[in-house]
Amino acid sequence: MRNASDTATTSASGSPTVVRVIRGVQVLAVVAAAIGVLVFPQTGPGPFIMSVGVVILSYACMATGWNFVGGFTGYISLGHAAFTGLGGYLVGLLILRADVPSWIALVLAAVIVAVLSIPIGFASLRVRGASFVIMSLALVLIMLLIFQSWSDVTGGSNGLRVPRPFGPEVLRPEQHERFYYLHVLLLVIMLVAWWAIDRSRFGAGLKAIREDEDKAQSLGIPTFGYKLSVYVISAFFTALAGGLYALWFGFLDPIFQFSILTGSYMVLMSLLGGIRSLFGPALGAAIVGYAIEFFKAQYGDTQFHLVALGLLLGLVVLFMPEGILPSLGRLLDRLRPSATSIREESAEELANKRAVLVGDNGGAS
Amino acid sequence: MSTAPAHEIGLAVHGLSKSFGGVHAVVDASVDFHHGRINALIGPNGSGKTTFFNCVTGMIRADAGTVTYRGQDITGKAPHRVAHAGIGRSFQVCRIFPRMTVLDNVLAGVRPTGLATLLGSGRRRSDVERARALLARVGIDHLERAEAGDISYGQQKLLELAGVLMTDPETIMLDEPAGGVNPALIDRISTLIVELNAEGRTFIVVEHNMELVMRLSDHVIVFDRGAPIAAGPPSTVQKDPAVLEAYLGV
Repeated sequence: MRNASDTATTSASGSPTVVRVIRGVQVLAVVAAAIGVLVFPQTGPGPFIMSVGVVILSYACMATGWNFVGGFTGYISLGHAAFTGLGGYLVGLLILRADVPSWIALVLAAVIVAVLSIPIGFASLRVRGASFVIMSLALVLIMLLIFQSWSDVTGGSNGLRVPRPFGPEVLRPEQHERFYYLHVLLLVIMLVAWWAIDRSRFGAGLKAIREDEDKAQSLGIPTFGYKLSVYVISAFFTALAGGLYALWFGFLDPIFQFSILTGSYMVLMSLLGGIRSLFGPALGAAIVGYAIEFFKAQYGDTQFHLVALGLLLGLVVLFMPEGILPSLGRLLDRLRPSATSIREESAEELANKRAVLVGDNGGAS
Repeated sequence: MSTAPAHEIGLAVHGLSKSFGGVHAVVDASVDFHHGRINALIGPNGSGKTTFFNCVTGMIRADAGTVTYRGQDITGKAPHRVAHAGIGRSFQVCRIFPRMTVLDNVLAGVRPTGLATLLGSGRRRSDVERARALLARVGIDHLERAEAGDISYGQQKLLELAGVLMTDPETIMLDEPAGGVNPALIDRISTLIVELNAEGRTFIVVEHNMELVMRLSDHVIVFDRGAPIAAGPPSTVQKDPAVLEAYLGV
């Protein structure tokens, strides 16, 4: 009898060794990367390189936070800097103006941003495509204006000094190392959350939205509710990343916190690594973050790194539209047992198959 | 699927109108669809059939009119609410999720029953088994691991039908199920429609293949200029002078 389990075993048993080897290589790569990240501070990199490490990890957190909405729903937000900026400023303001302890302020700020993102998402997720992108850009510009103009509270263009969470006895190198590991912890939490959504029914619905929103809705998926939920989750995590950065860096200026460039970095990093994959944004952040810091160190504060990043974005869109990890995945897929033939069955084959089905179970499914 | 008594009115559309700028796509259309029938919606291109579909399923908002399903007012309801009410649909140009596997396409139609299932696995064993059975039923179970965008158009049509069936709709609206499909698959699709109808599912089918319409349907509604101009059993409608004029210009 031909049944579902037969199909599954025949297509999987083509060459189980190859499948296992590919899986093994993937697991090894992740383990090696994780060990590399964890061991890096112990290799004595020096305070400057260590601070670059913190910056790259911060980018990885922001990009992964962005990818909750970008990766699952395909809604490209160029304005996620609004959430990192808000997260950062709220942490600073809660500590300075309300005497909230640093770590509580970090979480509380992210919760407030998540609540604020509900009406923002409610308004902006009603539109799709380019309109959504423009709405997201408008958001970050509005935030920039508010935080620049409301100087009584935010410090305006003079900036806001955020007190460090560790005492004066913790020196700079030690400070960098602690924040390095805190960022690793945050990144791991985000990755686990992304993974959990990815394998859930909620994630399946979100991915259906990314593919064809109208079709998803016609299948009964309440698309707006799904989009809004993941948007709030994304805002929460992105705000956590912004808040942690603020605690580390210790100084906030609206022009940098609410910069369209920061939002664009998150998009570029995620696209480069692959928005449909768990580790894509983090990998993209490592590459782009390193490139940004390299250009800045090499050529000073010029606009050269922007030109280079623009070129990189162009190359990615042209040659690797899915990003590095999915492209690698496709290369590996070629080693897998070849896919089943998609040739349509002839009338005769169909009739035979039907006869077998009817003979086996009376045609019922 | 909870089956309603046969021949009771299921979907009732009254005074439906929709204009796009100066184009009156649907004009004061009223149609009752009985349970258990295979209804065919025919008419020349541009006669408003697809717009009628889209208004009923909530994809576009009608300018006027009411839509009720089993006594429940579904006028202007969002498409997912219409789907929850028990109406499934396919699209004129076949719509599937091209970058998901065939199996995941069918699984997309699973409706979570609560927070636990929403956050639970997207490939619950019982759902996967049901999805595989549906794929076997439409005859593309051997393709379950293929990316949906890679399979042929005819197979995508079958996949779309399997996806709609996963939502277990009582009424299925098909927009040109035989369009662009080879004759062997047309046979397969029409056999499936007959079988599913025998199980108690109501069909509303927009179709241009007249041979198929006349063979398959119990009840034919002819649209012209945005409103029904004739309705009845296929044999009667075929001879209706108004239909002949609208269709053939005689």
